[in-house]
Amino acid sequence: MSHLDADVVAEFRAGLIAGRRGARVAAHLAQCEQCAASGDMLAEVSAALAAVPAPAMPDAVARRLDTVLAAEAARRDYPERADGTPARKRRAEPVPGRLRGMAVRVLAPAAAVVALAGAGYGISQLAGQQPGTKAASSPPTHAAAQSARAGGLAAGTGGNPLRQPQPTFGVADSGTVYQRATILQQLQAALRAPAVPGRFPSAQVRACVRHVTSGAGQVTPLRVETAKFEGQPATVIFAARANGGDEAWVVTGSCSGTSGKVAYTTTLP
Amino acid sequence: MPGAGGQLPSDDELLRRHVAGDSEAFGELFRRHRDRLWAVALRTVCDPDEAADALQDAMVSAFRRAADFRGDSAVTTWLHRIVVNASLDRLRHKAVHPVTSADDEHALQALAAPDPARASDTRMDVDAALRVLPPQQRAALVLVDMLGFPVADAAAILGISAGTVKSRCARARARLLPYVAHLRGNRSASESVSPAQGGDG
Repeated sequence: MSHLDADVVAEFRAGLIAGRRGARVAAHLAQCEQCAASGDMLAEVSAALAAVPAPAMPDAVARRLDTVLAAEAARRDYPERADGTPARKRRAEPVPGRLRGMAVRVLAPAAAVVALAGAGYGISQLAGQQPGTKAASSPPTHAAAQSARAGGLAAGTGGNPLRQPQPTFGVADSGTVYQRATILQQLQAALRAPAVPGRFPSAQVRACVRHVTSGAGQVTPLRVETAKFEGQPATVIFAARANGGDEAWVVTGSCSGTSGKVAYTTTLP
Repeated sequence: MPGAGGQLPSDDELLRRHVAGDSEAFGELFRRHRDRLWAVALRTVCDPDEAADALQDAMVSAFRRAADFRGDSAVTTWLHRIVVNASLDRLRHKAVHPVTSADDEHALQALAAPDPARASDTRMDVDAALRVLPPQQRAALVLVDMLGFPVADAAAILGISAGTVKSRCARARARLLPYVAHLRGNRSASESVSPAQGGDG
């Protein structure tokens, strides 16, 4: 007597085989120990799966989803923020989750450089300033705000961010471990934190920053960090746009005047 | 109904409030169901990172498309459907990297072998066993056998007929038969697998 296929036994047990064929299967199962045993084992498969405890959501995932949700809510509640962002930048601005996926997949194999340009627009939002005042910011106030956020080297450069005879930024080892899930928030926090005086940037770093930011119009670099991103050595560059608006670039590979691929760019909320 | 003092708002009410502009409502709704949604995503894609991505995609999608919810199913069914679809999307996009890698195959061969010495290190391998299933079968089996959804609910979530759910589950169970000893060991790792049951072949 040939045995029943496991699929047939399973379908019979699920009530999918009825009528005369069902009767034949039932008759076979009644007299064939081996097929009856496989029926019992199918029941055990279900029972064993049911007994596996449902996993609770890990805290890290819960936090990440909360963050993304908050960003979604803010996006919905303050659409004028998005409207105030130049269209080119808005297209580049990702859903937070996209940032995560994109940044990680591109960055993971290589040392990464993250460049961040910040200016009054986004910062005033972060600091809880009245929305109406951001448009009214006069250039001197704006420049002063930039200086306040810049590394130590920015102190002596005066009020004109457009003329840069000297580097306006220092280089510091922040040691920050940037995580893909939270990089937006970490960048914002770093931007808000008081700057520490940094080393004078090397020619390569200066060239790198010029190279990275050259496509973004007038920007004033504020500071450069060496940090970690997802366990990989990373360099983080903070800068400010002259015309307002916060923006972030992610650059992979060794960064110099000729190398340093912008893998990602965003406007910070 | 606002007058129902002390009672938590229903899922439908939270979704309505969200659509009406309440910025807290969706978060409350999502947190209410997130462990279960997480379980669905994790078991369907069999990878925590992918599951987190899928769940995030689903959450954002649900947030934005809430106004499209027509109320022809429960809100939870709708949420689960979005999560399952996002999970299956993830798997489709990953198809260039086959879900069952050479390592998995190796691990599964080891699992299928009647080796009592391996009965102890079984717990983490439920995922490995689930990975042998085609995604559509796995999604059905996860909902019905692992998470205990009635077939009708699973059908609504998956957007297929109850008969198709049963058929996918049946084929999935049959496919997992070679690993039953392993799964049994997982159910109660302290009980050793009886050699009389395992050494039949």
